[in-house]
Amino acid sequence: MRILIADDDALSRGLLQKTLERADYEVTTVADGRHAVESLCQPDAPRLALLDWMMPELDGPGVCREIRRHREQSYVYMILLTSRESKEDIVEGLESGADDYLVKPFDAEELKARLRTGERILHLEDRLVEAREQMRFKATHDPLTTLWNRGVIVDLMGRELVRSQREHGCTAVILGDLDHFKNVNDTHGHLVGDQVLREVARRQLLSVRSYDFVGRYGGEEFLTLLNNCPPASALVRAEEIRKAICTRPVQTDAGPLAITMSLGVLLSCDWGHRPADELLREADAALYAAKTAGRNRVMQAKPEESRQRVSTPQPAGERVR
Amino acid sequence: MNKANGSPEGASVDLSVLLARVDHDRGLLCDLLSIFKREFPVHLTSLQNAVAGNDAAQAARLSHTLKGMLANLAVTKAAASASRLEGLARAGEISALGDALATFEEEVQGLLPEMESYMAEARP
Repeated sequence: MRILIADDDALSRGLLQKTLERADYEVTTVADGRHAVESLCQPDAPRLALLDWMMPELDGPGVCREIRRHREQSYVYMILLTSRESKEDIVEGLESGADDYLVKPFDAEELKARLRTGERILHLEDRLVEAREQMRFKATHDPLTTLWNRGVIVDLMGRELVRSQREHGCTAVILGDLDHFKNVNDTHGHLVGDQVLREVARRQLLSVRSYDFVGRYGGEEFLTLLNNCPPASALVRAEEIRKAICTRPVQTDAGPLAITMSLGVLLSCDWGHRPADELLREADAALYAAKTAGRNRVMQAKPEESRQRVSTPQPAGERVR
Repeated sequence: MNKANGSPEGASVDLSVLLARVDHDRGLLCDLLSIFKREFPVHLTSLQNAVAGNDAAQAARLSHTLKGMLANLAVTKAAASASRLEGLARAGEISALGDALATFEEEVQGLLPEMESYMAEARP
C-alpha cells in the first residue's frame, strides 16, 4: 500500500519512512503542506497520508481541507501527527477533514494499527464504489448485449445533436434492424436469438470508432451515433456495419446462421434544428424503405423525400420486418 | 553500545526508548543522529536570535521544531523544556523567554558530544 508522509522535520520524516517501509508500505515523502496537496491530487496518488500538524506553506489541517474539497477523487485516509493534545486542537484537526490523529513521538505499533484501520476504511470504500459502478452500469446498459440501453442512447442522441449544431458539424444517426429476426426466434428458440443479438452487437461495436455510440433501441433494433461524421462518409460507414453483419454467418448453438440487417441513415446537418424524436422518425422511415426495397441494405433519410411522404402518407398496416 | 538497554550515567538520552523506536536498527540510528547533528545547532542558533529579537512567533515555531526532534530521540527532559518555551512564546510572554531559553540551553549542553558517542558506537 502506498502512503504519503508530509513532515518538515527531516528526522521525524526519516524515522517514519523507515518504520513504514519495514511494514511493507511504499512511502513517498514531502517536506511541506503545499507539496502534500500536489502529491495527493495527482492521478494514482497514495490514498493513505500521514500529515504533520505544523508545516510551512500549509499546515496539516489545511491539507485536509484542500483534499476534502476535491470530492471527485478517491477517498484519502489522513492521519494528523501532532504534539498538541488539547481537546480544542483535536476537534479542529478532525473538523478539518482528518480521519484520525496520532500524538508525537509516535509509537510504531500504534501507528501501524491506526494505518490498518485506514486500510479497512479504504477497502470498504472500494467495495462501495464498485457496487455503485455496477448499479450505474446496470441502469445504463442493455443486460443482454451490454450496449447502451434505449433511454441512454436516445439521451446521447439529443446531446450529440446539440453539440454538432453548436460546432457546425454533423452527426450520423443510423437505425438498424435485423431482417426476419422473428424467424430465428420461432425456428431456433430465444436462446439462439439471444446469441445472435449478442454477436450482432459485438460486430457493430467493432465497426465503429471508440468514441461513437451504439445502443439497443428495441428488440432487434439498434441505434448508432457517429460523431463528427463527414457527410460523404456516413453511407460508407453504414455499409461497413451492414457488411460486418452479413459477411460471415453467426455461430450459434443451432449452427451457423446467415443474418442480415437493414439500416436507415440520417445526417443531422441535412435537417436543421429538429428535435431528436422527429429525426428518429425520419431514420425509421429510411429503415422502412430499406426493408421494402428488399432488406440487407442501407437507405438514407432525405428532407425532400420526407416532404413527399407527408403529402402522400404510407398506408397503415403491419410493419415490414 | 555498551549499555544497549539503558543509558550511561548522566546521559540525556533514554537509550532504551530510542533503540526501541528505531527497532534496534543501528543504520537508522546513525542516520537520525547525523540529521540531528546537522540541524540541531542551526535551529538552536535561530531560536536564540528569535528570543534576543523578541520575535515570539518565530520562537514558538523553532521551539516546536526542537521539541519534536528531541522527543523523537528520547531526549525527554530537554523536549519538555522546549515545550515550556513554546508555550511561553505562544502566550506572548516575551519577558519569560530569556530564562526559559537559559534552562533549555543548560538541558542540551553536552548533548551533541553524547550523540556523537552513540553514533560512533552505532556505526557498523
